[in-house]
Amino acid sequence: MNGRPPRLALLGESLVDESALAILVEAVLGRPFVQVQPGLRARGWPSVLQILPAVARHLHFNTDADALVVLVDADDTEPHGERHEAPGYFHPRCRLCQLRAVFRRATRNLPPARGRERMLRAVGLAVPAAEAWYLCGLDEAVGEAAWIAGREAGRPPYTRRELKARVYGTDRPNLAQAVAGATAAARRHARDPRRLEYDFPGFAALAADLRSWDIINR
Amino acid sequence: MIASVAFRNFKALRSARIDLAPFNLVIGPNGSGKTSLIQAVLRLRTLSRLPAADAPAETEPETAEIVFRFNPPHDGLEATLTCRDEDRCDLLQLAPLPAGEGADDWPGLRARLLTSRSYLLDARAIARPVYPVTSDELATDGGNLAARLAGLHARSPESFAGLREEMIRLFPEYADLVLDPARGTFALRLSGGGDPVLVPADEVSQGTLYVLALLALAHDPAPPAIVCLEELDRGIHPRLLRGVRDVLYRLSYPADYGHVRAPVQVIATTHSPHLLDLFRDHPEEIVIADKHGRAATFARLSDRPDLEALLAEGGTLGDLWYSGILGGVPEES
Repeated sequence: MNGRPPRLALLGESLVDESALAILVEAVLGRPFVQVQPGLRARGWPSVLQILPAVARHLHFNTDADALVVLVDADDTEPHGERHEAPGYFHPRCRLCQLRAVFRRATRNLPPARGRERMLRAVGLAVPAAEAWYLCGLDEAVGEAAWIAGREAGRPPYTRRELKARVYGTDRPNLAQAVAGATAAARRHARDPRRLEYDFPGFAALAADLRSWDIINR
Repeated sequence: MIASVAFRNFKALRSARIDLAPFNLVIGPNGSGKTSLIQAVLRLRTLSRLPAADAPAETEPETAEIVFRFNPPHDGLEATLTCRDEDRCDLLQLAPLPAGEGADDWPGLRARLLTSRSYLLDARAIARPVYPVTSDELATDGGNLAARLAGLHARSPESFAGLREEMIRLFPEYADLVLDPARGTFALRLSGGGDPVLVPADEVSQGTLYVLALLALAHDPAPPAIVCLEELDRGIHPRLLRGVRDVLYRLSYPADYGHVRAPVQVIATTHSPHLLDLFRDHPEEIVIADKHGRAATFARLSDRPDLEALLAEGGTLGDLWYSGILGGVPEES
């Protein structure tokens, strides 16, 4: 790395999520990064999964990105739990597990390129949506544990629409409102991301990935 | 505004009914009644100009009929259009309903209906210079946009500033919207350093012109009560569709945008799965037009009980629609 800022590509489902993600990534890394190819975008969940191999290949060969950071919403799928981190474990309904597996398959046979052996990755899973992260620390009823307990009881504690209404003051925020709300929340978490990590294991997994990048962090 | 429309023997809509929301995105194959829904609204507006029929007309069983009901404060009134044939719907009857208010306020409802507008925007018409440079409303093809912009600037500088700000946010390659009332046109000033570069209206991209016309509607301090838009996504990059949806939400949910005015009912049609993707959290705003043989029907996406389960299986709303499992796709031989 020679002390230069890490070069990262971000992939999410919307400009709103990516704007907040950039702030959170910088906070966890503790240093600024250079965003490679801003504006990568997927159209919702299955699209992220479908385009990830092509995006990884493109970044590997055609850019000098050190790593790719991906953020997706869990919606109503399985949250990423501690047991998912066990070696060899794969939960077929966990989007984070799925993305890690797809990235691994897409990159494991790529030859070295652009002066690096391989590109790193970090994956985050917002449960059920990134708006829950933005409420963390402000609304005690919002957290992965509450979401999981509610789902198991057959009564999810909130919907995506309700989360949006709580974060933005309307469940139909325009793009500017949404980016402003999301980035304000991300800046609040950036001052101390520990609460977000504690309440949202899907963010903790992302943070752990980021901190594991020895080649970037040393 | 309009709470529901029921069709009988009107073109492909042999027996169809739809409840309308403040914002309605209508999807479906060609010939499935999307445009007929808009035409029905326009015929109601046209006949509202005339005195309503006093007595029920004698009708044949096959006579086409379109029945409108309304939201408060006019939910006590029903309006029925009767057609002599597919092209001649020239009888409007009004009837009070057993419940609801406003049964005696046809003049108030009529005044709102008369402002209804339908748009099929045409980039060449939008870019054409227009005289005189004042106009009360945007032409159906957007053809007098320069006049509308100049009028907005003169009558409501704050609204014009809001339009300009939103335009720059949507199209950051531009730094300003420059009016040229003397020539009956406008131009966009490119961002970036150096000498200012003006892009005249007739050199601006089609999609940008369409969005500019939508912005003129959305920032109008006194917009129409109902706005119908055909092929909303035409010429617009998929990534810009979120911004376009925001522009239309400004019409339908004015309080969310700080406007103090009545909501505008929007009825828009599209064939874009990308645009549909943006309504995952609001399926109640999606109307699926379907066609079976020669008969077309309408259904609200939110009325589909397994929608959440289908989405949970993966796939965006647009993917699900394209796959055919939501309906609203062309029949194949």
